[in-house]
Parts: sequence; C-alpha cells; structure tokens
Amino acid sequence: MDRYYGRQIVVPKIDAITAGLKIRPCFINDVCQRCGQINHYILPNQQFYCKACFILGRVSSLDVMLSLPEPNHFSNQVELTWKGQLTKQQNRVSNALLKTFSKNGEHLVWAVTGAGKTEMMFPLIYMALKQSKRVAIVSPRVDVIVELAPRIQEAFMNTDLAVLYGDQNEAYQYTPLVLATTHQMLNFRAAFDLMIIDEVDSFPYAGNQMLEYGVEKARKQLSTLIYLTATPTKKLRKKSNAGLIATSYLPLRFHQNLLPEIVTKTINDWRKKLPTKCLKQLQTFYKNQQRFLIFVPKVADTKTLCKVIKSHIPEMKGDFVSASDDLRQEKVESMRQENIQYLVTTTILERGVTFPGIDVIIFGAEEDTFTENALVQIAGRVGRSKERPTGLVQAYVQHINFKILAAQRQIKSMNKKGRMLKNQL
Amino acid sequence: MICLLCQTKKYESDTLLQVLGLKKVLERPICDDCNNQFAAIFTSCKGCGRHQGNNQLCTDCVRWQIDGKRLLQHRALYQYNDAMKLFMQRYKFYGEYAIRHVFNRKLKDLVKSRDTDMVVPIPVSYHTLMTRGFNQTIGLFENVRLTDLLVTIKSSKQRQSKFSRYDRLNREQFFMIENKTAVIGKDITLVDDVYTTGMTLYHAADILYQAGAKNVKSCSLAR
Ligand SMILES: [Zn+2]
Ligand SMILES: [Zn+2]
Ligand SMILES: [Zn+2]
Repeated sequence: MDRYYGRQIVVPKIDAITAGLKIRPCFINDVCQRCGQINHYILPNQQFYCKACFILGRVSSLDVMLSLPEPNHFSNQVELTWKGQLTKQQNRVSNALLKTFSKNGEHLVWAVTGAGKTEMMFPLIYMALKQSKRVAIVSPRVDVIVELAPRIQEAFMNTDLAVLYGDQNEAYQYTPLVLATTHQMLNFRAAFDLMIIDEVDSFPYAGNQMLEYGVEKARKQLSTLIYLTATPTKKLRKKSNAGLIATSYLPLRFHQNLLPEIVTKTINDWRKKLPTKCLKQLQTFYKNQQRFLIFVPKVADTKTLCKVIKSHIPEMKGDFVSASDDLRQEKVESMRQENIQYLVTTTILERGVTFPGIDVIIFGAEEDTFTENALVQIAGRVGRSKERPTGLVQAYVQHINFKILAAQRQIKSMNKKGRMLKNQL
Repeated sequence: MICLLCQTKKYESDTLLQVLGLKKVLERPICDDCNNQFAAIFTSCKGCGRHQGNNQLCTDCVRWQIDGKRLLQHRALYQYNDAMKLFMQRYKFYGEYAIRHVFNRKLKDLVKSRDTDMVVPIPVSYHTLMTRGFNQTIGLFENVRLTDLLVTIKSSKQRQSKFSRYDRLNREQFFMIENKTAVIGKDITLVDDVYTTGMTLYHAADILYQAGAKNVKSCSLAR
C-alpha cells in the first residue's frame, strides 16, 4: 500500500479497487486533476482524455485516481555521509535556508554557476530527513537529475533515494528522498515537506503552467519551497526585488573566483566556410591539448561543423551531440572520460553538465536559440575546477546584438558583486 | 504541418498550383521520416495477404482450406515490423486515439478496392471499451462507412488458450451478430487492425456465413 502514499495513481473505473484507498475523480469541472489543464482529446461515447499530460500515461474520463495521505513513515536515523566543508559564503546561505525551513517559507538561491549549490543544500536536506520529513529535489532537465543522483546518494548513503524521470524503468518505491524531473511531480499529491527546484528558470518548467501546478500540488500545504538558479526568470527577479521571497545571493564560485566573461569576435558566415580566425583557435586547442565545447544554434549544425573540423584537423578527436541523439548519454560520458577532446553541441549542454577545465566556443551567438540566460549559462561551463578556475568563452558572431550585450552585462554585474564580497573576506 | 507521430514541425513548400488551389493538397498526416519506417506489402499470399515473394497460398492458408474454410482473400497495407509494433503500442496500449488518422486515407482506398456491399469491423470487448475507450479498428477505418453489427461474447481472450485448435475452430465462438437479416445475400468486407493468426477473422466470417452472407473478404492495416 505504501506506493499510494502521497501519490495519484490512475486506474480504470471498471477495474477492482483495493479497499481503503482514497478515490478521486480525474476531472473536476473539466479540469484535469493531474495537471490542472483543460485540454481534452475527444474519445467515442462522450468520453475524453487529457492531451496536456498524456506523456505521463493517459488520464481519461474512464479513469479514477487512487491515493493515500502521506504519513511520513520514515526513520529519523539519518546520516550525512558528505564530509566536505562549506565555504564561509556557502555556510551563510545554508543557514538562511534552515531558517526558511523552520518557517515553511519560500526561498530563492541566486548563485552563479559553479557556486556549489548542491552542497549548500545538504545541511537543509539533513535537517528535514532527521525530522522524518519527505524531501523532493526536482529539475526540469533530465541531465541535471542524472548528474545529481550519485552525488545525492553519496551524501546520504544510508537513506533510500528514488530517482524518477521519463524513460527509466525503475519501479517506483516509497522513499523519504525523491530526485525527479518536474514532470514526475504530476504523479504526487501533498507528499513533500521540502521541495527544492534546481534550474528553476530552464525549459520546460519556466512559464509552464502544467508543471508549476504539478509542483504546487506535489508539496504539502505547509511545506518549504527552495528555488535554485544562476539565472532567475524576470518573474522571480521581480518577486525577489519586491521582497516577496527570501533571497540568498552567491556571486562567487566555490573556488572564490569570478565568472569568465564572454569575448566576442566578428566573423564571416561560418556555415559557408570555417573562418581562419576560428581554425587558428582550434589548432591552438589541439596543440595545447585543451579540451573544449562548441555550441551551435541548430541541431543540423552539430554534425556539419564537426565534419568540417575533422577535415581540417583529423587527428583531433571529437564528436557531436544533440537532444534527439540516442547516444547522448554515451557521448557526454566519453567527453567526461576524456576519450575525446571536444564536443559540438546545441544548448542542451548549456547547464547541468560539468567538464572540469574546458574552454567554450559559441558559433552564431547572435541567433535566437541563444537567449541572454543561455549565454550566461554557457559561460558558466568554464572555470569549473580549482586547478583551472578561469578559461576562454569565445563567441563568434556575424554581428553583435542587444541580447549578447545583456548577457555580458549580467556576468559583469555578478562579478562586481563578487569582487565586493571578496574584498570583505 | 506537424507530424502526427513524431510531433516535429515539418515545413513543406507548396507548389504554385497548390497555392492557387488548382491542385488538391495531398493529405499527409505524417512526415517522410516516419512514413519510411513502415514496410508496405507488395506481393503477398492470395489467401491471407502475408508479405512474400509470390502470390501462392502459404502453408497457413492451405491449412485453413483443409479445415474447410472459404479463404478471406485478406489484404493488408503493411508488414508488422518494429515501426508498426510501436504504432500499435502507442495506439492501443497507451490509448493515443489521435494517431488513428495516420492511415485513414490509405485504408479507405484499400476498402474501396474490395468493392463489397458492406464493411463490418471486428468488435472489442466491453472491458476494452471501458478502459481503452475506443474500438481501435473503427478508429483506423473512421472515414469508411461501417456496419457495426458484431458483438463480443464473454472474455474470449483468456479462454482462447484453454482449447485445442479443433475446439477453438468449432466450439468456441467469439462473436454474436446483432442483426442477422442485414447480412443475407451480402458481399462483406471484414476489417481488423492486425491479422495475426487469422483466427479472429475466420470466426467472424463463420458467423456471417451462418447468417446467410454470400461472400466474406477481409482487410487490415498490418499483417
Ligand atoms: Zn492532464
Ligand atoms: Zn514524423
Ligand atoms: Zn496465406
């Protein structure tokens, strides 16, 4: 029965239902009770299903939802097996979070990429688990979940952790600690006492009513909500500026260095012919064995550009990857294992994935796929290790536009705050 | 246009004639990439429509003849390959009713080519109707005029395996006919989603013949 705790499980009305379960209709006033949307696809005989959340398995007017209230049946024998140390600023943020938690409040952690957000959460998660609270760490992006899973498990080795995302088949189990995509929250109901949303500004969560509804529904009425981001949406920034949400700001990276700034260079149409400037840069990378990522605007560019580079420098090992790539995880892993020197990619690798010591090149930074926040995130890929805390973020453009300037300004303003903080230390 | 199957946007440049409305724009519910995954059947067994090098009767069909059946001269559009399995999984198992349209036009043409008096779909059980919410065959043949006169009896699926081939052929009946007089002397096309063993269709045909049908053929999306 524990698989029903804090869950919403969809079953056909006609099927036998275990006694004792709470039964709810799937639609109230036409509104889907899983995703909060009205988006019907009509079936025969005046029936219908919800198109909005179909990806999680069909909910139709022929179904009901089964659940049991969350009883917090967890042991409070919890151990924080992470033995690292928080920096002074990380500690300050961590303490602020504990305070918010004691009040069931909301809190925005606005930290530059590489500030060590995850570690800052550990004392908070530990506190919650010790009180037998149920904790969810969610992100809109599968990559982020996959990368976080081993780190979270390592920090709480003796606590059961469920990792839930789209196409992984691991059966659901009732656990105090849940790591999941925001999509998965649609299957929960009033389950969590502490909800941490990582990369809250990223696709597809930001501005997605269905996912926002799902996250709200998944947490208890009295619960704590933490937003983590390096690049908050306008909406969150406004809320923070108006003092409507407690905010912690962390402008320095964990190694106390600033974010690398984006350097621009104007070039001719790189899709026609690889400009000499770029080729020289690539040859330097090859000579120095400097590992790097290349960001391009379109999926189609990844393959063609990779081919062009290989035709010029065939000895340099590299690959290309995009969201629809079946071998995506393998290629990223191969980059991580340093089997290849570079990856040509789209914005899918703009965040969440860390390759220590790399440089970054952006082709077509002026094109629409790269938003202001995406560019800031991409710059954040660089300087992720103590050994090499800086690096090159080179944007090749055919012309500069406002968005690029805004991204550069955003980094500069964070670095200004960072410098001030450094002087205080 | 957005492809019904992969949901990606594909832009097609319409020809001038199409823009001017002089040439009818072809209905294309899925993109070329998706379409190419399906394997059309060209030459096939004349009894069951199975994809093979010639149109001779296959061993299965010879067996049906030995069992005393009049062959259904079944025709199917596609082989039951991985892409078709995936399609059926989405359509039937996940209940994605929206993708029933993918083959509507081609199936309509197929039925038309059989040129019969009446087109009868294989029915689904009450339980399926209350869980899936639709009869998958009726969805596939939506733009064909169907006469839905067969009904299922009991949960035939579970019972099927308990009987020997002889029993299944002669004793067990899956379907009942609602309006027997409607089929007397008629040329009928039975339609189904997939032809697997032929058992289902031959049962339906038996009942139609018993009720006085003159001739029964069949077709399906996949074989
Ligand atoms: Zn829904
Ligand atoms: Zn497609
Ligand atoms: Zn045959």
